[in-house]
Amino acid sequence: MKNVSIRIAGANGDGVESSGALIMKVASKSGLHVFGYRGYQSIIRGGHVWYQVRLGDEKLYSHGKDIDILIALNQESIKYQKSHLGKNAIVIYDPSKVNTDEIEGKGFRLVKIPLLDIAIKVSGDPIMRNVAAIGATLKFVGIDLEVFKGVVKDMWLRKGEKVVKDNIDIATTAYNYEGVSTVFGINGDGKQRYTMDGNTAFSIGTFAGGCKFYSAYPMTPASGILHWYAAHQNKGVLFKQTEDELAAMNMAVGASVGGVRAMCGTSGGGFSLMVEGLGFAGMVEAPVVVVDSQRTGPSTGLPTKTEQADLLFVMHASQGEFPRIVVAPRSVEECLAIGAEVFNLAERYQCPVLVLLDLYLSERIESIDGFNVDPVTIDRGKLVTSNTTGERFKRYEITEDGISPRGIPGNPGTEFIAPSDEHNEYGDLISDSLSGIDEYVELRRQMHAKRMRKIETMLKNEKIFVPEISDPSAEYFLVTFGSTTEPVEEAAKILSERGMKVGVISFNYIMPMDSDKTRSMLQGKKLIDVECNYTAQLAQVIKTNTGIEIKNRILRYDGEAVTGDDLAESAEEVIKNFKG
Amino acid sequence: MATINVNPKPTYASTNKHVWCPGCGDYGVFAGITKAITDLGLDRSKVAIVSGIGCSSAMPHAFSTYGIHSLHGRLVPVATGLKLANDELTVIGTGGDGDGYGIGVGHLVHAARRNIDMTYVVMNNEIYGLTTGQASPTSFIGAKTKSTPFGSIETPENPLAVAISSGATYVARAFSGEPAHMADMIKNGIQHKGFSIIDVFSPCVTFNNFNTYDWYRSRVYKLEGTGHDASNKIKALEKAIETDTNAWEKVPIGLFYKEDRPTYSSLDMTEKNGPLVKQPMPTKDVVKEIMEEYR
Ligand SMILES: Cc1ncc(C[n+]2csc(CCOP(=O)(O)OP(=O)(O)O)c2C)c(N)n1
Ligand code: SF4
Ligand SMILES: [Mg+2]
Repeated sequence: MKNVSIRIAGANGDGVESSGALIMKVASKSGLHVFGYRGYQSIIRGGHVWYQVRLGDEKLYSHGKDIDILIALNQESIKYQKSHLGKNAIVIYDPSKVNTDEIEGKGFRLVKIPLLDIAIKVSGDPIMRNVAAIGATLKFVGIDLEVFKGVVKDMWLRKGEKVVKDNIDIATTAYNYEGVSTVFGINGDGKQRYTMDGNTAFSIGTFAGGCKFYSAYPMTPASGILHWYAAHQNKGVLFKQTEDELAAMNMAVGASVGGVRAMCGTSGGGFSLMVEGLGFAGMVEAPVVVVDSQRTGPSTGLPTKTEQADLLFVMHASQGEFPRIVVAPRSVEECLAIGAEVFNLAERYQCPVLVLLDLYLSERIESIDGFNVDPVTIDRGKLVTSNTTGERFKRYEITEDGISPRGIPGNPGTEFIAPSDEHNEYGDLISDSLSGIDEYVELRRQMHAKRMRKIETMLKNEKIFVPEISDPSAEYFLVTFGSTTEPVEEAAKILSERGMKVGVISFNYIMPMDSDKTRSMLQGKKLIDVECNYTAQLAQVIKTNTGIEIKNRILRYDGEAVTGDDLAESAEEVIKNFKG
Repeated sequence: MATINVNPKPTYASTNKHVWCPGCGDYGVFAGITKAITDLGLDRSKVAIVSGIGCSSAMPHAFSTYGIHSLHGRLVPVATGLKLANDELTVIGTGGDGDGYGIGVGHLVHAARRNIDMTYVVMNNEIYGLTTGQASPTSFIGAKTKSTPFGSIETPENPLAVAISSGATYVARAFSGEPAHMADMIKNGIQHKGFSIIDVFSPCVTFNNFNTYDWYRSRVYKLEGTGHDASNKIKALEKAIETDTNAWEKVPIGLFYKEDRPTYSSLDMTEKNGPLVKQPMPTKDVVKEIMEEYR
């Protein structure tokens, strides 16, 4: 596989993000695979930001550790990025803005281009210097300038011929500038793929799965879902920005009891506020979907950095016990597929489904082959739309599988109360004045057991609650979940190329866990746990469920997104000193 | 809003035993809501009563309509979500002063400004009843409760002023000792298109021996007939703060403020097309079209 990692670095307001997006667009048009990841801060202007864009002729699983091409838009970009430069890295810079003394003589190819000058001469607009840098980059990678021209026409023709011409002239000048030549020569296969980030994919997935109500309060890195639903209100979904996450959660429960597929989303801090409402959903058996896109914690933490440290929190959030499903999609593509499925699970089992994303998945951009919507089905479970028996409707009927018929307000005959207090089969209270009386002690036991039985039912009926194993004959297995899966798969591939036999065991659905099947998959294998938190939360969950303790671990909690090559290095080290 | 009754003799009462202490003001509110929805002839399957937690929040269980008995302080967002899911429902919120003016007051402000089409009946007894008698946000300075044994030192909240200034479009007050008047206030609130709030003095006979039926009876007077102009926001605010300035010598009940303003659902671009719950899920073609935006 041929691939190249390009990092554009500068200050907020320098157009770093739009430049990255443009490179990805052009690369994608030429049939290359792309993977994008943004390093940014919680400020709107200034600071130091970067965008890493990796291009390859095969599917990419992370943004790559070392930089092959650096576009340094200011002096800080040299200072902060020099430690990330790979061997023989190319550094594109404008000598009028950037001085490269500190990286001279280290084997890097320093490419001096008067980016600003070119931009101003052609267009008069200094921000167009980025287009010059992109032109040079495309030449280094080996992408035909014609593809760039096509993209620019699509994007800018509505702004007039001159804008298009300026873009093309500036890029062409840099493309042909002295010292600029094709180094990587990566050829695309001409296939037009889709490129999107995890938040977009999850939004589209849930939309396809019939989500009609999304309530949220802005919080990075979940805001992308909020923005997507806000922008698609004209497609028959109701988006509500709420006063806080308490409202976001409780509105979603209200809408869900009202019979629509309802979801709310946030990051860990907002999820903390949602916790009481989550338990409420569990008690009234409301099928809501709740998204926690994790960031580095605790507390406000690092708002623009990633982590996987909310796993145990979402698994146990709220007082008391109730069935819930916890799922962590493993890729952008899986955000689509799982998004389309979560409401079926929520409605089939009438319980909350918690979706764990994190900044690295929410905001990573991947090329994907597509999303097959044709097989997407809608299963609303035991939904009842009328009751003509003349009998009072038992919304919380005690059944063998634990799932009761579900009515919707507005329909005649299925009237019921959805109470956060313990209740009987109709939804009448058995709490305050009745609790403790023998008959109601027994009824409470039965009602609680009814709800909890749904866990056994879902384990029996669904095949999703086991991890996936990539190469059963391998010698070592990297065990991981969610967003870390793709970089781990890349690491396993790198190690296999180096002659080690390394496979991957990855989890998406984590709760409930099919203990028996999971145990038999893990048993007797040499396992290495890889996750982004301090306390090895997945390993803890595995131990609780299967009794298997994974002693070899790679744990990251610096906030930065892991990459395949970086994990491969760590895994090699762990394998060398493997604790039996 | 009012829907045509398909059941000629609806019975709105459930068969549940009431949980309130004998003499509790909440019985009066139960009677008032019952009279209001009976007079309006609502179809009980189109009515949803949503409460929080507290003695007063047991209200949904007294009815045979739909209901949600939600969390302490979260009545308003739960009711909002339900109403947004199905605009055809008559959504009536029933809760306490602690629930709505204390732990949940943030939501009140926002439901009011959004003009969510619901009717919110707050049983204000100036005490936390269910938790056996602590001070509430409307307890008076000097009130001796379990949490203020030496007398409360906090100025009570003025919920009507909060509601009016937040943008509520129907703001009224009633008293459990005046059931016919209360039923009217609730009925008009249900008929009003928009966010209606009715603050009801609903005495707690067990834990509040200060704000009693007699205490209110000797003070309340009806705004109706006084020439109060309920369409004038300034006058409405003046009336709302009257008790702050006259040391509760005279206490107005009745309609303080009413304004016609489009409801949230009538402005929301999705809800405008009819109740959300009745709208179809997206077709596969729409999804495919959206996917193409990312190619
Ligand atoms: C989050 C939370 N905090 C505290 C409580 C305990 N609690 C239940 S009812 C209540 C106060 C009730 O007062 P009010 O809302 O005025 O209702 P009343 O009983 O007076 O009708 C409290 C504090 C709770 N249920 N939930
Ligand atoms: S404690 Fe007070 S508020 Fe509660 S039921 Fe008894 S009288 Fe009513
Ligand atoms: Mg009270």
